[in-house]
Amino acid sequence: MIIDDWLVFLLLFLAPVLSSIPIALVYKSDKWTEKLPYLSVFGIFISVLMSLYIFTSFPENQQYAYTWIPDLGINFVLITDYLSCYMGVITAVIAFFIAIYGLDYMKGDYRPSWYWFFFNLFTASMLLVVYSDNLFLLFVGWEGLGAASWGLIGHWFRDDDEIAYVGVPKRKVGPLELSWPPSFGGWRAISTIRFGDVPMFLAIAAIWVLAGNLNISEINWETLFLNIGAAGTIILLVCFLMGLFTKSAQVPFSEWLMTAMTGPTTVSALLHSATMVAAGAFVFIKISWYIKPWELHHVPGLEIVYIIALFIGLISGLYGALAGSGMLERKVLLAASTMSSIGLMFAVGAASFWIHEEIAGINLALLVAFWYMAVHAFAKASLFLVSGHLIHATHSRFSCGGFEFGKRMKIPFIVTIIATTFLVGIPPLTAYWVKSAMDKSMEILWHEHHMLLPIILLILTSLIYSAIMARFLSLNFVRGEKPEHEHLEGGGLMKLGYTMMVSVLFILLYLIFTNAETKGFVDAGYASVSFAVGAGALIAYVIAVYVPRLKVFSRVPGTFFNDRMYLPFLNDYIMPKTGFFISRIVQNYGNRGIDGFFNTRVIPGLFGIISKGIRAIQTGYLKSYVKIVLGLVMVFLIVESLWGLGL
Amino acid sequence: MTLAYFLLLPLIAVVIAPLLSPKKATYLSSFAFLLPFFAILYGLFGGCLGKVHLASFSPPIGEFYLNFDFISHAFGLTICIVSAMVALFALPYMKHRFEEMERNAESEFRKYIFLYNLYAASMLWLVYSGNLVLLYVFLELTLITAFLLIYSYGYGNRKWVGLLYFVWCAVAGVLVLAGIVILAFENNSLALVVLMQGGKVSIVAWAFIFAGMIIELPVLGPHVWLPWAHAEAPTPVSALLSPLTVGLAGYVLLRIALIDYSFIETYRMPILCYAIFSSIYAGFSVFKQTDFKRLLAYSTVSQMGYMLVALCLGPFGLIAVVIQYMSHAFGKSILFASAGGIITVHHGLRDLTKMGGLHESIPAISNAAVVGFLNLGGILTVGMLGEFFILRGVVDTFLRPESPSFLGWTGSLPIILAVIFMFILSVWYGFWTIRKVFYGKPKDTKRLEISRYFYVPLFIIGIVSVLLLFPPLSTALIQGLNAITGLGLGGAMP
Repeated sequence: MIIDDWLVFLLLFLAPVLSSIPIALVYKSDKWTEKLPYLSVFGIFISVLMSLYIFTSFPENQQYAYTWIPDLGINFVLITDYLSCYMGVITAVIAFFIAIYGLDYMKGDYRPSWYWFFFNLFTASMLLVVYSDNLFLLFVGWEGLGAASWGLIGHWFRDDDEIAYVGVPKRKVGPLELSWPPSFGGWRAISTIRFGDVPMFLAIAAIWVLAGNLNISEINWETLFLNIGAAGTIILLVCFLMGLFTKSAQVPFSEWLMTAMTGPTTVSALLHSATMVAAGAFVFIKISWYIKPWELHHVPGLEIVYIIALFIGLISGLYGALAGSGMLERKVLLAASTMSSIGLMFAVGAASFWIHEEIAGINLALLVAFWYMAVHAFAKASLFLVSGHLIHATHSRFSCGGFEFGKRMKIPFIVTIIATTFLVGIPPLTAYWVKSAMDKSMEILWHEHHMLLPIILLILTSLIYSAIMARFLSLNFVRGEKPEHEHLEGGGLMKLGYTMMVSVLFILLYLIFTNAETKGFVDAGYASVSFAVGAGALIAYVIAVYVPRLKVFSRVPGTFFNDRMYLPFLNDYIMPKTGFFISRIVQNYGNRGIDGFFNTRVIPGLFGIISKGIRAIQTGYLKSYVKIVLGLVMVFLIVESLWGLGL
Repeated sequence: MTLAYFLLLPLIAVVIAPLLSPKKATYLSSFAFLLPFFAILYGLFGGCLGKVHLASFSPPIGEFYLNFDFISHAFGLTICIVSAMVALFALPYMKHRFEEMERNAESEFRKYIFLYNLYAASMLWLVYSGNLVLLYVFLELTLITAFLLIYSYGYGNRKWVGLLYFVWCAVAGVLVLAGIVILAFENNSLALVVLMQGGKVSIVAWAFIFAGMIIELPVLGPHVWLPWAHAEAPTPVSALLSPLTVGLAGYVLLRIALIDYSFIETYRMPILCYAIFSSIYAGFSVFKQTDFKRLLAYSTVSQMGYMLVALCLGPFGLIAVVIQYMSHAFGKSILFASAGGIITVHHGLRDLTKMGGLHESIPAISNAAVVGFLNLGGILTVGMLGEFFILRGVVDTFLRPESPSFLGWTGSLPIILAVIFMFILSVWYGFWTIRKVFYGKPKDTKRLEISRYFYVPLFIIGIVSVLLLFPPLSTALIQGLNAITGLGLGGAMP
């Protein structure tokens, strides 16, 4: 090795953060905030180099431990297993491409310091999550993701530009106005994420105590689960999964991802498609990798957990695809499709419980989930970047642009075609092979475990998904309305960013055919069922390109889907109404009541009465003192006589 | 024990600072607390443990001495850095306040800085007191100085509020004193070093001290004094009162718990439920406040609930008491100071309904407030360790089969969920407040030039709070705490 391993990791995590501190400090100077973003991008570039260095030169499955709080088992433990090595490179490379794009996209923004600081903090946190083997260290990165996501979604905090909103302003459904400003998007993101993070933190603490170890690869999961029994296993893992589901915006926690589209498009591309929301699925794959659930069928309760994950994934997949089918906002449509894809990652990851098939020593289902994540990351990030460019070019966040427009925007047009077709599983493009293996996994569930529903849901999702991706292409470049504004010049770095991004899909295709472990994908691709699904996806794609909007469906169910099946009511109506109702009771009755009793009314009043009474006695007239004494004597006599009577 | 000499510096500053001009006095006070801060930091690594004898008294009082251990260091560290930074922040703030009150800034500042330094120094000495009588003396001294500060420089009906604060805390003080007296006769000494060697705390003594300290802490019920006092106190005082003083009640409880944990063990469930309920209750109250400082005060009640929860959760819970105190102190001092910044810059603006979009005019203060709420929520700051240890305490106490209060997973589910919700609520109200105060459509679109005193000290506190999560600081601190008998893995108690 040329450099020590600790230095590599230090540079990997700290270079992005340190390189963004100068710009954060000079926030007042316009001159410097124009120049310093290049430094921030350079910091991410160092991370790219380091991740590549780890990928190529570090031995696989090696643990690197550096002390933190050694007595308690909290340490900087990093691991270079298959998942980390690949995902590290993916994260750093995507972040780097998006950062280059961002140099152009964020030019002239009103708070570049904030943006670049959180963007780089995010990159570092994500890398920490990816490489970490220690659960506490992972959680530090995890919280970094949450905080950075909050900062970036709410980047345009002024809420004064309609282009940053989600939903149609002033459009009301029942008591709700279905439109959300950026500052609200940020608040909702962190509140939802936190709702899952704390249970996850508890699960980590429980693992810490009950397994006596925090390193994912070292924990003896079988003993742990057997010791805590069925109820313990279910509660522990469901708590852990809460963190993953909220981060990955699975049903019913998906709303935050939709309103997260109020952030800059670069943020949507990096956080809300490629990395952060995928982190939930990534961690799920990672722990399943070490739990090895397919060997633990004798552990009570574990199957229930995997069934929960399987169906939440599948339902989110279908929900996202259906919701996307009614949407017109470019980014929200992509967000819904992202949620759908991540649902599929969860589903196939969870299928690992029932699948014993291994390729090159890796469980098929987990491998599929991971590769789908990789393909999805590059394809979806490209699409987001294109839509960001389109928003700049047309001044509209709603899909618009006909074929004429498409011809003038050749590069984005071509990139969109490549990204969508490579993503939806049209043979023989990249995602087809991965999706085929996914179909195969669900087929195993059907044939060997009599679970028919998963494969039905998967195929249905795949077809609708293909259609909504085609719809995105069509509405923006082929058959959409003519845009009101067109600013087609410039955007060189933006084009460079998404062109580089989309070209990685070709590399992935090459890797699928050359890597040993993905040979199973190719085999699965030649199966007839996979081919039928692929052909179905192609047909759905072609139809949707020609008929992106059906008049018959535009009101019902189009509006219903566009309004995300009215799930916002849970987040915007039921939850806050309940919360504020409790707050009102607590404040108006609780606090005012106690305050009144102790501080302002009852007790001070009583003191007043008593002291007034005592003062009233002290009149100074002999007559009144004699009266008091006589009165007391009378009372004494009455009591005495009553007592004498035996009462 | 050179550290003892450093502890003298704040006391020297008490005497000298009033003789100087406001600016010099401020710097002197700040340095008088910063130097001990660095000395304590050094002590964390050098293992500066032991005691410094002060005086000896006949039984049942026993020896007066300064007690150096990691608990005192952790509290002392926090008190020093917060006091030093708030002293800097107070310079422009108090000048502005005196102008507002139409008083002579120069001469009032002398009185103020005397009280301020005495207040902060007595807190610092409280945590290093090795004898409960000495501790009590400093407890009362903090009460009197804080009372005088509120009474003289507070807002609104400050005299009434000052008296309110005084009466409540005096009641608390008397109860604690009663407890200490009983303790003295039971053990024939009040020196911690003697008490730690198998000292007994009877139920009655515990009950008195506990009752007193939950008034001071405070939890639901007696908490009503706190929003008044913290909201109406001059902001630098709020920024010590809320972060440092009330948490010292937790410190006292922690010391007593380390002597004899039986009371907590006997009444664990009722105390725990009360504490969780109190914390959640106060968390909900936050949403209905219209005054920014009052809002922060309710958040303090909620956070003090954390400390009481932690106290019930065995050896790791007791470490969490210490960490929670630190993270709350960092977060809340930043937040109160940012509230003070808004008051000064925006001409007395405290009403939440009139706020919104303030980030536009005061970005630095706004960003500091974010760091403050990150501390309260336990995100990327030392508070994360606090939450982690509380959660570990829950698991240790209720889910470990060897534990006497083992409840099993289904049995302890209500407690688990309640604790989880308690943590969630802090982040909810924190970021909800940030949005309401700082984001949204700006009403004032001009960026204001503000004095550096209003934000640089806050960021320094913020940086300390982040550094304390990572090595080498957290390594030294947590390992040190963990090694103390009764805490963490050194816990002899079940």
